[in-house]
Amino acid sequence: MPERVSHGFWFAAWRRYRRKPLAMAALVFVCFLIGVAILAPAIAGTKPVLCRYKGQIYAPCLSYFDRRLEPAIFVKDRFRGTYPQNLREKDPESWAIWPLVFQDPYRAVRDNEWPGRPANPTKDEGHPNRFNLFGTDQYGVDVLAKMVHGTTVALAVGFVSMGLAGTIGIVVGALGGYFGGWIDMLLSRVTEVVMCIPTLVLILALVAFVDKPTIWKTMAIIGATGWTGIARLARGEFLRLRSSEFVLAARSAGAGPLRIMLRHILPNALAPVLVPITFGIASAILTESALSFLGFGSPPPSASWGALLNDARSNLSMWWLVAFPGIAIFLTVLAYNLIGEGLQEATDPRLRESRK
Amino acid sequence: MSGSGAVPLVDVKNLQTHFPVRKGLLRHVVGAVQAVDGVSFSIQKGQTLGFVGESGCGKTTVGRSILRLIEPTGGSVRFGGTDVRVQNGAQLRLMRRRMQIVFQDPYGSLNPRMTVRTILEEGLLIHRIGNAAERLATVSRALERTGMSPGSLERYPHEFSGGQRQRIAIARALVLEPEFLVLDEPISALDVSIQAQVVNLLVDLREQCGLTYLFISHDLSVVAHVSDHVAVMYLGRIVERASASQLYREPLHPYTLALFSAVPTIDPAKRRRRIVLTGDVPSPSRPPKGCRFHPRCPLAEQVCREIDPPEVCLDGHLVHCHVAAREIERTGGDVRAASANLAEKVASRVAEIAGDSR
Repeated sequence: MPERVSHGFWFAAWRRYRRKPLAMAALVFVCFLIGVAILAPAIAGTKPVLCRYKGQIYAPCLSYFDRRLEPAIFVKDRFRGTYPQNLREKDPESWAIWPLVFQDPYRAVRDNEWPGRPANPTKDEGHPNRFNLFGTDQYGVDVLAKMVHGTTVALAVGFVSMGLAGTIGIVVGALGGYFGGWIDMLLSRVTEVVMCIPTLVLILALVAFVDKPTIWKTMAIIGATGWTGIARLARGEFLRLRSSEFVLAARSAGAGPLRIMLRHILPNALAPVLVPITFGIASAILTESALSFLGFGSPPPSASWGALLNDARSNLSMWWLVAFPGIAIFLTVLAYNLIGEGLQEATDPRLRESRK
Repeated sequence: MSGSGAVPLVDVKNLQTHFPVRKGLLRHVVGAVQAVDGVSFSIQKGQTLGFVGESGCGKTTVGRSILRLIEPTGGSVRFGGTDVRVQNGAQLRLMRRRMQIVFQDPYGSLNPRMTVRTILEEGLLIHRIGNAAERLATVSRALERTGMSPGSLERYPHEFSGGQRQRIAIARALVLEPEFLVLDEPISALDVSIQAQVVNLLVDLREQCGLTYLFISHDLSVVAHVSDHVAVMYLGRIVERASASQLYREPLHPYTLALFSAVPTIDPAKRRRRIVLTGDVPSPSRPPKGCRFHPRCPLAEQVCREIDPPEVCLDGHLVHCHVAAREIERTGGDVRAASANLAEKVASRVAEIAGDSR
């Protein structure tokens, strides 16, 4: 037999996925969002990406990720978050690389903060303009900056909550499907009970109980309630595969339940389970936006797209507060749905046959 | 029974495997599918026992019950002198090293997400045998033994044909160097042209590695070719068991006679009258009273409908049939004459039934 390269299942699936332009565009869009989330402080902010101050190099922009990353020297020298002027006055030798857009997601840019630039307009005067591409909210905070920094939340909500939901769902489904009997009985009933609880209502109730609602708690709650569909699918796959001959062969080789579940069944069950997880990411983003819209989302300092919509609620004349975050949410949800669909078509052999 | 004094490698006594039938909201047991119901046999080291029977007669379940891939509900399975059924986890794992299985469907028995190498290495990893280099050597050797090139190690099952896949499945069974192989219809899913190759491979391997086989098939001619002894199964029970030559020379059970008449032969002089059985195999969840074969047996009598036929054994030729037992008695133990008479009887009875219905 001639030597040749062999491709596994996922490689073949990727090749099929690549042929779908819409799904590929969606994937590129999500990658773009990930890029935006990671580079957010370099895209929009009022703190230099890199600067040289009193002979040292600093990266104050990192403080957008975590307040503690703000170099101590700027606190000591009383910069108070206003870098351009202070840098110039306190160390004429200094230089700085600035973010692409000089706008802060947490406060309005003041008059002449950037040489020769007026203060951000407030209230309903903040139409999209040269300095504020997506306009400003009623307090004069730039919408684009808010959205760029809110990308992290939008992505994290999807990944964290569905990571949690996926883990719970696969574990529950795997145990029920593989062991069957009373374990399956019990887990299926628990799944059905959780399924009956309307997620949004549960989250609203829990938010009322939780002391300090943070975005992480919201994600945990979305994840803890969103695993039912995944569990049912995983259960079906494990049930189907546990009596397959390759599993029997593994058992006769002496493999224990854990090895069979992880090495033999899970890789075969993963593709069908991944599809609802992708759709779940989309719905988690929507849920978070809905919560923020209702005012139960993350508290003010962390910007989220849903919170922007909430601001628009009381200022309906400020159409830009609705339009831009709305479009962003719509596109992201659409992208995840397209990815899920593409994944389904690339991995499901039945769909593959019919489309040939 | 194979009879000799040596302890058989595999000794199965009164094996029972019933599957519960559940019904209703609380899923209480309302009955049992008696897939295997009181099967006994033994296999000497180095020998092959063939199992034949229609689909659904329980032959696959017998094979899987021995390996405890399905838990038997009764009886005993002794392997090399120890009872398989009472082994706990660690002991069972050790025992499984010594007995392996090859499945019917080479498309379903190889994990599609694994390369041939990982598939073959699995057993070695589980039993912690050798280091990486030794494992690779063992795996390549097993693959070569089955006539595959080691170049296929890094490839995936879907890149192979059915026959090649079955060779890989056989190689997997050989990697742990077992003493006993259950071959569960290993050639039924293959093209006819490939079947002979695989059968010959199995026969060669038996000689080379000193293996003991339980060969399950519905193909009488293949079973005759590879087996030393043959057991005929019907509806969860063995109805006749004999050495291969005995069974082919002088079949006694009407069911065996019917099976033989269905084997195609080229020689027209040898062509027997086809015995067509009427009706379907009854459900194993409600097997008929008396002899299980009686609703379809052309020779069924009143006693067959009421009493389970006892075992009659003559020169290691075992049969469960009232009519055959009487015939043997009548001919004074001449099995060959009894077989000929029975065949004659069945043929005339079948002709009669055909005439009646016309």
